[in-house]
Parts: sequence; structure tokens; C-alpha cells
Amino acid sequence: MEEAILTTIGPPPPFDPELAAALTVIAANFPREFTADLIPLLRQPNPMMPIPSNEDLRRGGAFDVSERIVTGPQGAPDVSLLICRPTAVTAPVATIYHIHGGGMILGDNRTGLPGFLEWGEELNLAVVSVEYRLAPETPHPGPVEDCYAGLVWTAAHAGELGIDPERIIVAGGSAGGGLAAAVALLARDRGGPALAGQMLLCPMLDDRNDTPSALQMAGLGVWDRAANETGWAALLGAASGGPDVSPYAAPARATDLSGLPPAFIDVGSAETFRDEDVTYASRIWQAGGVAELHVWPGGFHGFSGMAPQATVSQAASAAPLNWLHRILAS
Amino acid sequence: MRELVGRLDALDPDASAAVQVIAYFDQLSQARAGLQSIVRGAAVLAGCAAGLADDERRVRLRVGPDGHRREPADTRDPTWLSAPVAPGDTAVLWLERPGPAGPVEAMVLERAAAAAYAVLDRTRGKALAPGHDEAAIEVLIDENAPEDARRHAASALNLAEGDLVHAIALETGARIGRQGDRIEPATRAGIGPDVRVLDLPGSWAAARTALRLTAEGTEDDPGPRIVRADDLGGLALLAAVVGLAAEPVPDVLALEQAASAAPWMLSTLDAVATSMTLRTAAAALGVHHSTLQDRVTHAERVLGWPIREPRGRFRLYAALMLRRLYRNRR
Repeated sequence: MEEAILTTIGPPPPFDPELAAALTVIAANFPREFTADLIPLLRQPNPMMPIPSNEDLRRGGAFDVSERIVTGPQGAPDVSLLICRPTAVTAPVATIYHIHGGGMILGDNRTGLPGFLEWGEELNLAVVSVEYRLAPETPHPGPVEDCYAGLVWTAAHAGELGIDPERIIVAGGSAGGGLAAAVALLARDRGGPALAGQMLLCPMLDDRNDTPSALQMAGLGVWDRAANETGWAALLGAASGGPDVSPYAAPARATDLSGLPPAFIDVGSAETFRDEDVTYASRIWQAGGVAELHVWPGGFHGFSGMAPQATVSQAASAAPLNWLHRILAS
Repeated sequence: MRELVGRLDALDPDASAAVQVIAYFDQLSQARAGLQSIVRGAAVLAGCAAGLADDERRVRLRVGPDGHRREPADTRDPTWLSAPVAPGDTAVLWLERPGPAGPVEAMVLERAAAAAYAVLDRTRGKALAPGHDEAAIEVLIDENAPEDARRHAASALNLAEGDLVHAIALETGARIGRQGDRIEPATRAGIGPDVRVLDLPGSWAAARTALRLTAEGTEDDPGPRIVRADDLGGLALLAAVVGLAAEPVPDVLALEQAASAAPWMLSTLDAVATSMTLRTAAAALGVHHSTLQDRVTHAERVLGWPIREPRGRFRLYAALMLRRLYRNRR
């Protein structure tokens, strides 16, 4: 009886009023569908989402911006890192190691970077953003291994970069959040760089794609179940959703979430990823770890970046900065 | 959406931007969002700070284009785009940008004002400012009232004899506006010419005629919701005659018959009659040029006269105006 009640899925929770209004504009200017055959089209430059130039990234001289080509995973091509270091500080700085979003299939290492640089400027952080190879051309483990190789190089060259290797945080939104969680698992399991934290913004964690929120929000919002299916199928092929998926591809598959760096996890209540993200935080606590979880009511996927003016977005954007303050307090 | 909406204007000033603005505020109203959300929407969509002030209801709100609250300004620049939320209402909504308004800004102002009016009405009641003293207004617009009584009513309304004012005819009654007030109300309104206070009965008569030439702005009843008596010219004379005639002329009956032939008919004919070219009419309707050509051919067959050349187009325009006058006989 009780089980039947628990598995009853109600109607989709409503969007926040301001976000619902913003969604009408976003929906009119963004692709409605993410299917495999549309991937080339979706990768075209979108005039609504301009790619920040080096000048934009410098933020009026607050950052030095450079690109480094570094050693990639074994047997794979080199990896490019975009390195933004605050000009105001000469002492080794804490660093956000950024992994961009885009459903595993879209984007580059400038995608979403301005928001992280805003926090970086406030806290005098370096921001290093990795250019990983995308699915489906590069299936798992290519993307996550690229991300991990970039992290290892960054930590090993901390002195040269002027960063503090003890204070590196992996961070990313959406697919980037999933990859950041996976990189944290890899670093733990391979005895890699000791991370100060993992910032997982509405992370894409679970290839099974069948939580109540995934079912509830099908056809709604920004990245629905069908789009998510496209992303996971691109990364994992036929293995997606099956019994043999690596936790380094889909961190929700990890059986052990102990020994991880403190996590910051946020997600909207009205998005596909709600339940997998809430579960991930719960499982970290259950394993004895540290996690901070924010579920923003009525938020669609990526709401705080796409509709930053909304009241709930203002609150959601303040939370990671507040967390960084606490995590990096020395 | 920082990037997204601030540039609606550049995207498509004619059609889709306006549609998105309408959808945005409709969505806010539907979700019963508050005043701050509405003013924030205006600021973000217009890409400049926006505000709402109403001394009667003690409301002062100001929001920047980034969606953050700002301190209310002490003074308001008279060149900024502004509008009372409803004709004669004390609440004013503004965009901190000099005129003239582009199509998107005008739409933002109109829709935000209407949405704000609905909230004010719901949450704080009607503002019974001087302009709303119904009894005094009745006297001022009554040509049979003694001059002494009208002088008394004017002072009750805080109007000096030399002031230039106009009568506003609403479906629900009369309002008085001052010269230069911008009217972007939520309701249908006929605006009389500016006159000295004691000449308001004449302005009122003209405003009532103008009101008869307004329309709901829907598919069944296309046309402007606000009409100024100053723009009517000889149509005012036509209005006086139609008040007496019992039966609609054959062209109006032909229009009604055409209207029953297709749901798009009246809005299409209205666009054809009021646009410079068929091409601009097609753009206003949001249909392809060739679609409009087909519609016009169909319409000519049902109406029984050509509408592509000036004489037939004028006949159509006259029929549309007569139809409104018959519908709004009172």
C-alpha cells in the first residue's frame, strides 16, 4: 500500500511565475527538440548565446587569459585549457576547474564561463576551463578522461600557474556538473589531486533517465527526458540505461559516495534532474560526507543562467558564491 | 536571458518580439505574479531600468535591466517613456529611456501597464484620485450643468480653468486626462480633444464618438482599442448618421457574411485596409505573402468587390468602420 502511494506521480510542479514568463521567450528562441539528427544544427553558433571573447573573459583587466595545450589521456590527443588568472593577486590563488555543460553533445570551454568568472572576480579565484571532446564522436570514457587529464595537469603545474593546488574546486553545470562529479570520483579512486570541493549545478548524473521528475517533466521546460535520452545515448550508445554503465560516465551509478570532497548541489524542482540530484546529495550524507543541497521551487533546467533577472534566480546565484566563501575560507 | 531578451528589439521588431512580449506578461498575469515581477519584466524586456509609482496607493518600485531592485529615484526625467496604468489612473509605469518608443518598447509599456493595473486593482483597490471623483466628472462633462457648478467641480478635481484637459470615454464611464498624458490602458477608450476645462462637454461628445470606433482587438473584432477623436476627421460625421439608421448598409452585411466564411477573414480584411501594402499586411498578420494573396482572392469573391486597388480598399475601410459603428451603437 505504502509503496503504491510513494510511486504515484502527480502533475508537474508549476514553474515559478517569473520563470514561466521567461520560458515563453526562451522557448521561442531556443531549439525545442534535441534529437540525434539535430546535433550538427544545434552546434551552429546561436546569435542568442554569444561566445565570450578573450576580451569579455578579461573583465576589464581583472583576469589574464591564456590557452595551454596540455597532455591528454593516455593514447588520446592533447587537451586545451583556457586559463583565467586574477591579475590583482600574486600569491597562489584558489581555483575553479570548470567543465562546461551542453548535454555531453554541445558547447565549448567558453560556454557558461562568464558566470564563474563573476564569482572568481569576487573571490580572487583562477578559473581553468577544459576543452573536452564531445559525444557522439567521442563516446565514454573520452570526455571524462579529457576532463581528468586537464585537472591532473593543472594540479601538477600549480606553481607555474600561480595557483594553490590544495584549493582546487571542480565545477560545472548540467553535463558539466555530471562530469565534475565523475572527475571527483576519479580523483578519489586513482589517488589524484586532492579537491577542495565539487560544485555541481543542476548536474546530469543518471543515464537511467527514469526518476519521477524525469517522467513528470517530460515535454516541459528546457532539457526534458527526450533530450536527456539523446545526450546519454550519444555518450553511451546502446549501453545507456543498461546494467553495465560506469560510475565515471554516470555518477549516480557509483555504489560508494564516501571520501568525496564537500559538494554543492543545486537543481530546480521543475526539471528532469531534480530527483537524481536530490538522491545524490542524500547518498553523500548517508555515506558520511558533506553536501549542501538547494532545490529551487519552480526552477526549470538552467533557470538561473537563462533568466538571471528573476527573483528566484537572484537567490540561486547568490548561493554558490556564499558556499565558495565558506569552502575557501582559509 | 540577459543576452536573450535585451536584444528582442534587434531580433525581429515587427512580429515575433511583440508576440513574445505579450506571452511574457500574459504568463505573469496568469500566475498572478506581483508588481515587482511585472516591473522587472518591463526592465528586462526593454533593456533599461523601469519603475512604477503611485502616490495614492503608496507604491514606489524601481528595477534595473539586470532584474535587481534599485532605489526609487527622486525625480523622473520627463523625456522617459511612461504611461498611466489605466486612463486617468494615478499609477504610472515608466521605462528609463527617452522616446519615441519603438514597437517593442511600446508593447512592453502597454502590456506591463495593463498587468500592473490588474494587480493594483486586485490587491489595493481602485485609486480614487482627484481624476476619479465620479460626481464631479459627471458635472464637468455635462453641457447642461450651470457654469458655476462646473467651476466648482473643476476645483474639486484640482483643475484650474486654464488647464488643457480632455475627456476619456470608457465602456464603464468617464475620466479626465491632462494634455500630454500618454494613454496605454488595458481597456477600450475614446480620447477627446484637449480643451479648456469648461469646454469638456464638447471633448466628451467627441470622446464618445471615438469610443464607438474602437474594437476589442480580437479576431472577431479587429482594430485599435484606443481611438483619438483628433484622428477621426470626417468619420465623426459618419458616426452621427449611423446612430440614426436602422438597418446596416449592404456592404456591412457583406462583411458579416464574409466573416462567417473563415475565422481569419475580419482580421485579414482589417490588416489589408489599414496597411500600406499587402506585404506589410502579411507581416502584421504573421502570414506568408502568398497566403495573404490567396486570402484576398477568396475575400474578394465573398465580398463581391475588389480590395487590391484604392477605390475598393476605401470601400472596405468604410465598411469596416461602419460595422464598428453599428456594433457600438448606443
